[in-house]
Amino acid sequence: MKTLEVHFTLNNQPQTLITAAGRTLLEVIREDFGLTGAKDACSGEGECGACTVLLDGAPVNSCLVLISQVEGHRVLTIEGLAPSGQLHPIQLAFIATSAIQCGYCTPGMVLATKALLDRTPVPTDAEIQEALAGNLCRCTGYTKIISGVKLAAQEVQHGR
Amino acid sequence: MPDWDVIVPQTTAELADLLVTQPGTLIAGGTDLLPRLQRIPATRPVRLIDLSRLSELRFIRQQANTIEIGTLTTHAEIGDSPLLQQVAPALVKASRSVGSPQTRTRGTLGGNLANASPAADTTTPLLCLDAQAVLVNRDGRRQVALSEFFIGPGQTCLGPGEYLYSVRFAIPSGRWGVDFEKLGRRNGMAIAVVSGSVFLELDENGTIVTARLALGSVAATPVRSRHAEAVLKRQPPTSSLFEEAAQAMISDISPIDDLRASCEYRYHAADVLIKRALAIASHQAESNLS
Repeated sequence: MKTLEVHFTLNNQPQTLITAAGRTLLEVIREDFGLTGAKDACSGEGECGACTVLLDGAPVNSCLVLISQVEGHRVLTIEGLAPSGQLHPIQLAFIATSAIQCGYCTPGMVLATKALLDRTPVPTDAEIQEALAGNLCRCTGYTKIISGVKLAAQEVQHGR
Repeated sequence: MPDWDVIVPQTTAELADLLVTQPGTLIAGGTDLLPRLQRIPATRPVRLIDLSRLSELRFIRQQANTIEIGTLTTHAEIGDSPLLQQVAPALVKASRSVGSPQTRTRGTLGGNLANASPAADTTTPLLCLDAQAVLVNRDGRRQVALSEFFIGPGQTCLGPGEYLYSVRFAIPSGRWGVDFEKLGRRNGMAIAVVSGSVFLELDENGTIVTARLALGSVAATPVRSRHAEAVLKRQPPTSSLFEEAAQAMISDISPIDDLRASCEYRYHAADVLIKRALAIASHQAESNLS
Protein backbone atom coordinates (compact mmCIF):
# COMPACT_ATOMS: atom_id res chain seq x y z
CA MET A 1 0.00 0.00 0.00
CA LYS A 2 1.47 3.34 -1.07
CA THR A 3 1.21 6.05 1.57
CA LEU A 4 1.76 9.77 1.62
CA GLU A 5 1.92 12.60 4.14
CA VAL A 6 -0.55 15.45 3.79
CA HIS A 7 -0.79 18.79 5.60
CA PHE A 8 -4.01 20.77 5.47
CA THR A 9 -6.36 22.84 7.57
CA LEU A 10 -9.59 21.16 8.60
CA ASN A 11 -12.20 23.41 10.20
CA ASN A 12 -9.49 25.91 11.15
CA GLN A 13 -7.27 23.24 12.75
CA PRO A 14 -3.92 22.39 11.09
CA GLN A 15 -3.65 18.65 10.42
CA THR A 16 -0.90 16.27 9.37
CA LEU A 17 -1.96 12.89 8.13
CA ILE A 18 -0.11 9.84 6.86
CA THR A 19 -2.50 7.83 4.76
CA ALA A 20 -2.93 5.47 1.82
CA ALA A 21 -2.48 7.36 -1.43
CA GLY A 22 -5.68 6.45 -3.23
CA ARG A 23 -8.15 7.85 -0.69
CA THR A 24 -10.58 10.68 -1.23
CA LEU A 25 -11.11 13.69 1.00
CA LEU A 26 -14.60 12.34 1.80
CA GLU A 27 -13.20 9.04 3.08
CA VAL A 28 -10.63 10.84 5.22
CA ILE A 29 -13.02 13.30 6.88
CA ARG A 30 -15.59 10.60 7.61
CA GLU A 31 -13.32 7.71 8.60
CA ASP A 32 -10.24 9.37 10.10
CA PHE A 33 -11.85 12.43 11.65
CA GLY A 34 -15.34 11.06 12.37
CA LEU A 35 -16.93 14.06 10.66
CA THR A 36 -19.98 12.38 9.15
CA GLY A 37 -21.87 15.49 8.08
CA ALA A 38 -20.63 15.05 4.52
CA LYS A 39 -22.52 12.09 3.03
CA ASP A 40 -21.62 9.51 0.43
CA ALA A 41 -24.81 9.23 -1.59
CA CYS A 42 -23.92 8.73 -5.25
CA SER A 43 -20.76 6.69 -4.62
CA GLY A 44 -18.18 8.92 -6.18
CA GLU A 45 -20.02 10.02 -9.30
CA GLY A 46 -20.09 13.71 -8.38
CA GLU A 47 -23.80 13.86 -9.15
CA CYS A 48 -25.55 14.54 -5.86
CA GLY A 49 -23.57 17.09 -3.85
CA ALA A 50 -24.30 15.40 -0.51
CA CYS A 51 -20.55 15.29 0.16
CA THR A 52 -20.05 19.01 -0.52
CA VAL A 53 -17.39 20.73 1.57
CA LEU A 54 -15.66 24.07 1.02
CA LEU A 55 -12.10 23.96 -0.25
CA ASP A 56 -10.50 27.38 0.19
CA GLY A 57 -14.06 28.72 0.40
CA ALA A 58 -15.34 27.16 -2.84
CA PRO A 59 -17.77 24.23 -2.99
CA VAL A 60 -16.36 20.86 -4.07
CA ASN A 61 -17.60 17.29 -4.09
CA SER A 62 -15.26 15.77 -1.51
CA CYS A 63 -15.78 12.34 -3.12
CA LEU A 64 -13.94 13.69 -6.18
CA VAL A 65 -10.95 15.18 -4.38
CA LEU A 66 -7.93 12.97 -3.74
CA ILE A 67 -6.36 13.48 -0.35
CA SER A 68 -3.05 14.42 -2.01
CA GLN A 69 -4.86 17.34 -3.66
CA VAL A 70 -5.68 19.07 -0.37
CA GLU A 71 -2.02 19.57 0.57
CA GLY A 72 -1.71 23.15 1.83
CA HIS A 73 -5.42 23.94 1.45
CA ARG A 74 -8.28 24.83 3.81
CA VAL A 75 -11.22 22.47 4.19
CA LEU A 76 -14.47 23.50 5.88
CA THR A 77 -17.10 20.86 6.69
CA ILE A 78 -20.55 21.41 8.16
CA GLU A 79 -19.11 20.62 11.61
CA GLY A 80 -16.76 23.60 11.24
CA LEU A 81 -19.63 25.96 10.55
CA ALA A 82 -20.91 25.70 14.12
CA PRO A 83 -17.82 24.77 16.13
CA SER A 84 -19.19 25.88 19.50
CA GLY A 85 -22.61 24.32 18.94
CA GLN A 86 -24.12 27.71 18.17
CA LEU A 87 -25.86 27.26 14.82
CA HIS A 88 -24.83 29.42 11.86
CA PRO A 89 -27.46 31.90 10.54
CA ILE A 90 -27.81 29.76 7.38
CA GLN A 91 -28.67 26.73 9.51
CA LEU A 92 -31.16 28.73 11.57
CA ALA A 93 -32.77 30.04 8.38
CA PHE A 94 -33.12 26.50 7.00
CA ILE A 95 -34.84 25.45 10.23
CA ALA A 96 -37.12 28.51 10.25
CA THR A 97 -38.29 27.87 6.68
CA SER A 98 -38.61 24.08 7.05
CA ALA A 99 -36.00 23.67 4.35
CA ILE A 100 -35.09 20.32 5.89
CA GLN A 101 -36.96 17.08 5.78
CA CYS A 102 -34.79 13.96 6.00
CA GLY A 103 -31.69 16.12 6.33
CA TYR A 104 -29.43 14.00 4.16
CA CYS A 105 -28.73 16.72 1.60
CA THR A 106 -28.72 19.53 4.17
CA PRO A 107 -25.00 19.77 5.05
CA GLY A 108 -24.19 20.08 1.34
CA MET A 109 -27.02 22.56 0.75
CA VAL A 110 -25.91 24.72 3.69
CA LEU A 111 -22.28 24.78 2.57
CA ALA A 112 -23.22 25.51 -1.06
CA THR A 113 -25.34 28.36 0.32
CA LYS A 114 -22.42 29.67 2.38
CA ALA A 115 -20.19 29.70 -0.71
CA LEU A 116 -22.90 31.62 -2.58
CA LEU A 117 -23.56 34.21 0.13
CA ASP A 118 -19.85 34.80 0.74
CA ARG A 119 -19.58 35.96 -2.88
CA THR A 120 -23.08 37.24 -3.55
CA PRO A 121 -24.68 38.55 -0.34
CA VAL A 122 -28.01 39.37 -2.04
CA PRO A 123 -28.56 36.65 -4.66
CA THR A 124 -31.42 36.55 -7.15
CA ASP A 125 -33.61 33.45 -7.44
CA ALA A 126 -31.70 32.47 -10.58
CA GLU A 127 -28.38 32.82 -8.77
CA ILE A 128 -29.66 30.68 -5.90
CA GLN A 129 -30.86 27.97 -8.28
CA GLU A 130 -27.54 28.04 -10.11
CA ALA A 131 -25.55 27.84 -6.87
CA LEU A 132 -27.56 24.82 -5.68
CA ALA A 133 -27.66 23.05 -9.06
CA GLY A 134 -25.09 20.52 -7.87
CA ASN A 135 -27.03 19.57 -4.73
CA LEU A 136 -29.90 17.15 -5.11
CA CYS A 137 -32.79 16.91 -2.64
CA ARG A 138 -35.21 14.03 -2.87
CA CYS A 139 -37.78 14.96 -0.25
CA THR A 140 -38.24 18.59 0.80
CA GLY A 141 -38.41 19.90 -2.71
CA TYR A 142 -36.47 22.97 -3.62
CA THR A 143 -39.01 25.72 -2.92
CA LYS A 144 -38.43 25.77 0.81
CA ILE A 145 -34.70 25.47 0.39
CA ILE A 146 -34.70 28.56 -1.83
CA SER A 147 -36.80 30.35 0.80
CA GLY A 148 -34.24 29.26 3.36
CA VAL A 149 -31.39 30.71 1.32
CA LYS A 150 -33.25 34.02 0.93
CA LEU A 151 -33.95 34.26 4.64
CA ALA A 152 -30.33 33.35 5.35
CA ALA A 153 -29.18 36.15 3.03
CA GLN A 154 -31.27 38.66 4.98
CA GLU A 155 -30.06 37.37 8.33
CA VAL A 156 -26.41 37.40 7.27
CA GLN A 157 -26.87 40.93 5.87
CA HIS A 158 -28.25 42.11 9.18
CA GLY A 159 -25.43 40.41 11.02
CA ARG A 160 -27.70 38.13 13.01
CA MET B 1 -9.42 0.53 -0.80
CA PRO B 2 -7.92 0.69 -4.27
CA ASP B 3 -4.23 0.04 -4.72
CA TRP B 4 -3.31 3.38 -6.18
CA ASP B 5 0.02 5.10 -6.28
CA VAL B 6 -0.14 8.87 -6.38
CA ILE B 7 2.94 10.86 -7.35
CA VAL B 8 2.88 14.60 -6.77
CA PRO B 9 5.43 16.52 -8.88
CA GLN B 10 6.38 19.91 -7.43
CA THR B 11 7.55 21.53 -10.68
CA THR B 12 6.78 21.19 -14.38
CA ALA B 13 10.37 20.03 -14.94
CA GLU B 14 9.73 17.20 -12.50
CA LEU B 15 6.47 16.42 -14.31
CA ALA B 16 8.21 16.20 -17.68
CA ASP B 17 10.80 13.81 -16.20
CA LEU B 18 8.13 11.68 -14.52
CA LEU B 19 6.26 11.26 -17.78
CA VAL B 20 9.38 9.57 -19.14
CA THR B 21 10.61 7.64 -16.12
CA GLN B 22 7.32 6.64 -14.42
CA PRO B 23 4.48 7.28 -16.83
CA GLY B 24 1.04 7.38 -15.26
CA THR B 25 -2.39 8.90 -15.65
CA LEU B 26 -2.46 12.66 -15.14
CA ILE B 27 -5.05 13.91 -12.67
CA ALA B 28 -6.01 17.58 -12.76
CA GLY B 29 -9.48 18.39 -11.35
CA GLY B 30 -10.42 14.70 -11.29
CA THR B 31 -14.12 15.38 -11.88
CA ASP B 32 -14.18 13.11 -14.90
CA LEU B 33 -11.28 10.78 -14.14
CA LEU B 34 -12.23 9.75 -10.59
CA PRO B 35 -15.75 8.53 -11.48
CA ARG B 36 -14.18 6.52 -14.32
CA LEU B 37 -11.57 5.01 -12.00
CA GLN B 38 -14.34 3.92 -9.60
CA ARG B 39 -15.53 1.53 -12.27
CA ILE B 40 -12.29 -0.41 -12.68
CA PRO B 41 -11.50 -3.31 -10.34
CA ALA B 42 -9.95 -2.06 -7.07
CA THR B 43 -7.14 -4.60 -7.42
CA ARG B 44 -5.87 -3.19 -10.67
CA PRO B 45 -2.82 -1.02 -9.98
CA VAL B 46 -3.22 2.62 -10.94
CA ARG B 47 -0.47 5.22 -10.99
CA LEU B 48 -1.73 8.76 -10.85
CA ILE B 49 0.36 11.85 -11.38
CA ASP B 50 -1.36 14.54 -9.32
CA LEU B 51 -0.87 17.99 -10.86
CA SER B 52 -2.29 19.93 -7.90
CA ARG B 53 1.02 21.48 -6.84
CA LEU B 54 1.76 22.93 -10.28
CA SER B 55 0.27 26.39 -9.83
CA GLU B 56 2.52 27.55 -12.69
CA LEU B 57 0.04 25.81 -15.02
CA ARG B 58 -2.87 27.88 -13.73
CA PHE B 59 -3.03 31.26 -15.44
CA ILE B 60 -4.92 33.47 -17.86
CA ARG B 61 -2.59 35.95 -19.53
CA GLN B 62 -2.51 38.39 -22.37
CA GLN B 63 0.62 39.11 -24.40
CA ALA B 64 0.07 41.70 -27.12
CA ASN B 65 -3.02 40.39 -28.92
CA THR B 66 -2.66 36.77 -27.80
CA ILE B 67 -4.46 35.13 -24.89
CA GLU B 68 -2.94 32.09 -23.24
CA ILE B 69 -4.81 29.94 -20.73
CA GLY B 70 -2.85 27.47 -18.60
CA THR B 71 -3.99 23.87 -18.60
CA LEU B 72 -4.92 23.84 -14.89
CA THR B 73 -7.16 26.92 -15.06
CA THR B 74 -10.54 25.88 -13.69
CA HIS B 75 -13.92 26.35 -15.33
CA ALA B 76 -14.87 28.64 -12.43
CA GLU B 77 -11.82 30.84 -13.09
CA ILE B 78 -12.60 31.07 -16.81
CA GLY B 79 -16.27 31.74 -16.04
CA ASP B 80 -15.32 34.59 -13.69
CA SER B 81 -12.62 36.20 -15.86
CA PRO B 82 -13.50 39.77 -16.96
CA LEU B 83 -10.75 39.59 -19.61
CA LEU B 84 -12.17 36.41 -21.16
CA GLN B 85 -15.71 37.79 -20.93
CA GLN B 86 -14.48 40.60 -23.16
CA VAL B 87 -12.42 38.64 -25.69
CA ALA B 88 -13.94 35.14 -25.59
CA PRO B 89 -17.52 35.37 -24.26
CA ALA B 90 -18.52 32.07 -25.89
CA LEU B 91 -15.77 30.28 -23.96
CA VAL B 92 -16.98 31.94 -20.75
CA LYS B 93 -20.55 30.83 -21.48
CA ALA B 94 -19.38 27.28 -22.20
CA SER B 95 -17.26 27.10 -19.04
CA ARG B 96 -20.21 28.30 -16.96
CA SER B 97 -22.32 25.49 -18.43
CA VAL B 98 -19.96 22.70 -17.34
CA GLY B 99 -21.50 20.46 -14.65
CA SER B 100 -22.34 21.96 -11.26
CA PRO B 101 -20.60 24.70 -9.24
CA GLN B 102 -18.72 21.90 -7.45
CA THR B 103 -17.49 20.53 -10.79
CA ARG B 104 -16.47 23.99 -12.01
CA THR B 105 -14.45 24.63 -8.84
CA ARG B 106 -12.31 21.59 -9.61
CA GLY B 107 -12.59 20.82 -13.32
CA THR B 108 -9.91 22.31 -15.54
CA LEU B 109 -9.67 23.48 -19.12
CA GLY B 110 -6.79 21.09 -19.80
CA GLY B 111 -8.72 18.17 -18.37
CA ASN B 112 -11.77 18.99 -20.46
CA LEU B 113 -9.64 19.11 -23.63
CA ALA B 114 -7.24 16.23 -22.95
CA ASN B 115 -10.09 13.84 -22.12
CA ALA B 116 -11.03 14.39 -25.76
CA SER B 117 -14.70 13.77 -25.20
CA PRO B 118 -16.68 14.74 -28.31
CA ALA B 119 -19.14 16.33 -25.84
CA ALA B 120 -16.63 18.54 -23.99
CA ASP B 121 -18.13 22.00 -23.61
CA THR B 122 -15.00 24.13 -23.90
CA THR B 123 -13.85 22.66 -27.22
CA THR B 124 -16.23 24.33 -29.69
CA PRO B 125 -15.71 27.98 -28.62
CA LEU B 126 -11.95 27.41 -28.76
CA LEU B 127 -12.18 25.79 -32.20
CA CYS B 128 -14.07 28.92 -33.32
CA LEU B 129 -11.18 31.06 -32.04
CA ASP B 130 -8.74 29.02 -34.15
CA ALA B 131 -7.00 28.14 -30.88
CA GLN B 132 -3.62 26.44 -30.72
CA ALA B 133 -2.67 23.81 -28.16
CA VAL B 134 0.80 24.08 -26.62
CA LEU B 135 2.25 20.64 -25.90
CA VAL B 136 5.31 20.20 -23.72
CA ASN B 137 7.70 17.36 -23.08
CA ARG B 138 11.16 17.03 -21.53
CA ASP B 139 12.86 18.23 -24.69
CA GLY B 140 10.76 21.26 -25.48
CA ARG B 141 7.41 22.41 -26.76
CA ARG B 142 5.37 22.34 -29.92
CA GLN B 143 2.17 24.02 -30.98
CA VAL B 144 -0.66 22.30 -32.87
CA ALA B 145 -4.01 23.59 -34.04
CA LEU B 146 -6.64 22.51 -31.54
CA SER B 147 -8.56 20.99 -34.46
CA GLU B 148 -5.58 18.63 -34.95
CA PHE B 149 -5.32 17.89 -31.21
CA PHE B 150 -8.39 15.63 -31.15
CA ILE B 151 -7.99 12.43 -33.15
CA GLY B 152 -10.85 10.29 -31.84
CA PRO B 153 -13.10 9.73 -28.84
CA GLY B 154 -10.75 9.92 -25.85
CA GLN B 155 -7.74 10.23 -28.13
CA THR B 156 -5.43 13.18 -28.65
CA CYS B 157 -2.24 13.73 -30.59
CA LEU B 158 -0.24 13.93 -27.32
CA GLY B 159 2.86 11.78 -27.75
CA PRO B 160 4.55 9.69 -25.03
CA GLY B 161 6.04 11.96 -22.38
CA GLU B 162 4.01 14.93 -23.55
CA TYR B 163 1.38 16.98 -21.73
CA LEU B 164 -0.99 19.81 -22.63
CA TYR B 165 0.58 23.00 -21.27
CA SER B 166 -1.82 25.71 -22.43
CA VAL B 167 -4.18 26.94 -25.09
CA ARG B 168 -3.50 30.12 -27.08
CA PHE B 169 -5.62 32.22 -29.39
CA ALA B 170 -5.52 35.66 -31.01
CA ILE B 171 -7.92 38.27 -29.64
CA PRO B 172 -10.49 38.84 -32.36
CA SER B 173 -10.63 42.31 -33.89
CA GLY B 174 -13.18 44.12 -36.02
CA ARG B 175 -16.95 43.64 -35.89
CA TRP B 176 -17.31 40.19 -34.47
CA GLY B 177 -19.95 38.22 -32.63
CA VAL B 178 -19.95 34.78 -31.04
CA ASP B 179 -22.24 32.34 -29.33
CA PHE B 180 -22.15 28.97 -27.59
CA GLU B 181 -25.29 26.87 -27.42
CA LYS B 182 -25.79 23.56 -25.69
CA LEU B 183 -28.66 21.17 -25.54
CA GLY B 184 -28.67 18.68 -22.69
CA ARG B 185 -31.26 16.31 -21.28
CA ARG B 186 -32.11 18.95 -18.68
CA ASN B 187 -31.09 22.54 -18.00
CA GLY B 188 -28.53 22.06 -15.25
CA MET B 189 -25.53 19.77 -14.86
CA ALA B 190 -26.10 18.01 -18.15
CA ILE B 191 -23.62 16.53 -20.59
CA ALA B 192 -24.35 17.89 -24.06
CA VAL B 193 -26.59 16.01 -26.46
CA VAL B 194 -25.40 18.55 -28.99
CA SER B 195 -23.33 21.69 -28.50
CA GLY B 196 -22.16 24.29 -30.95
CA SER B 197 -20.28 27.55 -31.26
CA VAL B 198 -20.18 30.25 -33.87
CA PHE B 199 -17.75 33.08 -34.62
CA LEU B 200 -18.77 35.66 -37.22
CA GLU B 201 -16.90 38.75 -38.35
CA LEU B 202 -18.58 41.37 -40.54
CA ASP B 203 -17.01 44.08 -42.69
CA GLU B 204 -18.20 47.69 -42.67
CA ASN B 205 -20.94 46.82 -45.20
CA GLY B 206 -22.28 44.08 -42.97
CA THR B 207 -20.95 41.24 -45.15
CA ILE B 208 -19.58 38.16 -43.42
CA VAL B 209 -15.80 38.09 -43.81
CA THR B 210 -14.97 35.34 -41.35
CA ALA B 211 -17.23 32.49 -40.29
CA ARG B 212 -16.25 29.66 -38.00
CA LEU B 213 -18.66 27.00 -36.77
CA ALA B 214 -17.87 24.09 -34.49
CA LEU B 215 -20.05 21.33 -33.11
CA GLY B 216 -19.77 18.88 -30.25
CA SER B 217 -21.36 15.46 -29.65
CA VAL B 218 -22.10 14.94 -33.34
CA ALA B 219 -18.91 13.18 -34.48
CA ALA B 220 -15.98 11.20 -33.08
CA THR B 221 -14.30 14.49 -32.16
CA PRO B 222 -15.50 18.07 -31.82
CA VAL B 223 -15.61 19.30 -35.44
CA ARG B 224 -15.42 22.50 -37.46
CA SER B 225 -18.05 22.71 -40.18
CA ARG B 226 -15.99 23.88 -43.17
CA HIS B 227 -18.89 23.45 -45.56
CA ALA B 228 -21.19 25.73 -43.57
CA GLU B 229 -18.35 28.24 -43.22
CA ALA B 230 -17.87 28.30 -47.00
CA VAL B 231 -21.58 28.99 -47.50
CA LEU B 232 -21.50 31.94 -45.10
CA LYS B 233 -18.41 33.68 -46.39
CA ARG B 234 -18.84 36.94 -48.37
CA GLN B 235 -22.61 36.93 -47.86
CA PRO B 236 -24.84 39.25 -45.84
CA PRO B 237 -26.17 37.47 -42.72
CA THR B 238 -29.82 36.54 -43.29
CA SER B 239 -32.00 33.79 -41.94
CA SER B 240 -32.19 32.13 -45.37
CA LEU B 241 -28.40 32.09 -45.52
CA PHE B 242 -28.29 30.51 -42.06
CA GLU B 243 -30.77 27.91 -43.28
CA GLU B 244 -28.44 27.14 -46.18
CA ALA B 245 -25.43 26.95 -43.82
CA ALA B 246 -27.26 24.51 -41.54
CA GLN B 247 -27.97 22.32 -44.59
CA ALA B 248 -24.29 22.41 -45.56
CA MET B 249 -23.29 21.50 -42.01
CA ILE B 250 -24.91 18.07 -42.37
CA SER B 251 -22.02 16.79 -44.50
CA ASP B 252 -19.53 17.65 -41.72
CA ILE B 253 -21.21 15.74 -38.92
CA SER B 254 -21.83 12.04 -38.28
CA PRO B 255 -23.81 11.66 -35.08
CA ILE B 256 -24.54 8.29 -33.50
CA ASP B 257 -27.21 6.78 -31.26
CA ASP B 258 -26.08 6.63 -27.66
CA LEU B 259 -27.54 6.73 -24.17
CA ARG B 260 -28.27 10.46 -24.39
CA ALA B 261 -29.98 10.73 -27.80
CA SER B 262 -30.59 9.14 -31.16
CA CYS B 263 -28.68 9.98 -34.30
CA GLU B 264 -31.81 11.38 -35.93
CA TYR B 265 -32.56 13.64 -32.99
CA ARG B 266 -28.99 14.93 -33.03
CA TYR B 267 -29.26 15.91 -36.70
CA HIS B 268 -32.39 17.84 -35.91
CA ALA B 269 -31.01 19.44 -32.73
CA ALA B 270 -27.74 20.43 -34.44
CA ASP B 271 -29.75 22.17 -37.16
CA VAL B 272 -31.83 24.17 -34.66
CA LEU B 273 -28.88 24.94 -32.44
CA ILE B 274 -26.54 26.18 -35.14
CA LYS B 275 -29.18 28.49 -36.62
CA ARG B 276 -29.84 29.90 -33.16
CA ALA B 277 -26.13 30.46 -32.57
CA LEU B 278 -25.72 32.10 -35.99
CA ALA B 279 -28.59 34.49 -35.28
CA ILE B 280 -27.19 35.47 -31.89
CA ALA B 281 -23.62 35.86 -33.17
CA SER B 282 -24.64 37.94 -36.19
CA HIS B 283 -26.83 40.18 -34.05
CA GLN B 284 -23.90 40.68 -31.70
CA ALA B 285 -21.53 41.45 -34.61
CA GLU B 286 -23.98 43.95 -36.11
CA SER B 287 -24.24 45.86 -32.85
CA ASN B 288 -20.46 45.74 -32.41
CA LEU B 289 -19.29 48.88 -34.19
CA SER B 290 -15.65 48.77 -33.13
